[in-house]
Amino acid sequence: MSKSNAPYWPILPSAIALAGIMVFIFASFGPPASSSGFVTTLKGFFLEVAPDYAEGKEHYRMMPGPGSWLMAFVLGMAAGGFIGGRSFGQTVTDMPKAWEKCYGSSRGKRYLATFIGGFLILFGARLAGGCTLGLFLSGSTQLAISGLYFGAVIFSVAMLTTRIVYKHRSHDHD
Amino acid sequence: MTDVWIGLFSGIAFGFVIQRVGATNPQKMVLAHLMKERYIPQFMLLVVIFAAFGLFALEAAGVGTTRVLPTSLVATGLGAVLFGIGWGLAGYCPGTCWAAVGEGRMDAIFALLGGLAGTAVFAHLHEALIPTLYMPTNFGQLTLTDWFGHPVVALGFLILLLGGGVLLIGRLWGRPA
Repeated sequence: MSKSNAPYWPILPSAIALAGIMVFIFASFGPPASSSGFVTTLKGFFLEVAPDYAEGKEHYRMMPGPGSWLMAFVLGMAAGGFIGGRSFGQTVTDMPKAWEKCYGSSRGKRYLATFIGGFLILFGARLAGGCTLGLFLSGSTQLAISGLYFGAVIFSVAMLTTRIVYKHRSHDHD
Repeated sequence: MTDVWIGLFSGIAFGFVIQRVGATNPQKMVLAHLMKERYIPQFMLLVVIFAAFGLFALEAAGVGTTRVLPTSLVATGLGAVLFGIGWGLAGYCPGTCWAAVGEGRMDAIFALLGGLAGTAVFAHLHEALIPTLYMPTNFGQLTLTDWFGHPVVALGFLILLLGGGVLLIGRLWGRPA
């Protein structure tokens, strides 16, 4: 294992920085969330192409549409990732090294896997009411049992799933 | 309109920091979940510890908005299981995939598209799934304070629990196989 988080930032100051951003969000808006941003995006889409459908569905009625804090936040996340990536000086890869070692360099396979993974994280998050940020980070910060419960289960299941998905040659991943 | 600018600013700062710490890199997520690298999980627990202190101070000063999500034994648990499978498979979660798309990772774009599909399917089934899976075991907006009776004791418990997690991860992760 590498001895430090380099080339990435050390975790302690990063955690203080992100916690500071979260506290700012609690002070200026409310609990931050990101899976809800997917609902907001789709609500905007359906309000354009099928307004009756968007109005008739509780899951869209309960979320703000575009032009909201939530929409700006997730687009801001993409912008922040863009600025971070451009100013970082590390090559960005289209698939993790560990994946390539197990499944080869076929992009189709990897993209199919992340599409299915993306489907499951959002379906699961919408059922639970939030995601890593909205439920685990924001929730636990507010001492919510739901956040701690969700966090414990997602970590355990993700660790188990990763072990199964990357079972071949698992010694070579670092 | 102020809300939109505050949201945009918050998002940019958030996306930048999670990129810089490596949370948008699915390779680091794989190593974390295989217990080979301790950084990302420790980072996440530390964020909660510091943010909980900060929020406690905010609330003591009488500012800030909180909204505790309810605990549904079945829906929160089942949602978490599906989420965990997807997280293990893709190496992205809903927040990191937005930032990873901005960073230029092609596989994150497909995770985002899959996420939109998953959201659309859930939203379509909301009226059927929430009454059957969420409501029957919904215990409401439970917090540690409800369990411990006093917010300071509850905060202390959270710090001990997550601080213990940070130490445990430091011990168990990254040991030679």
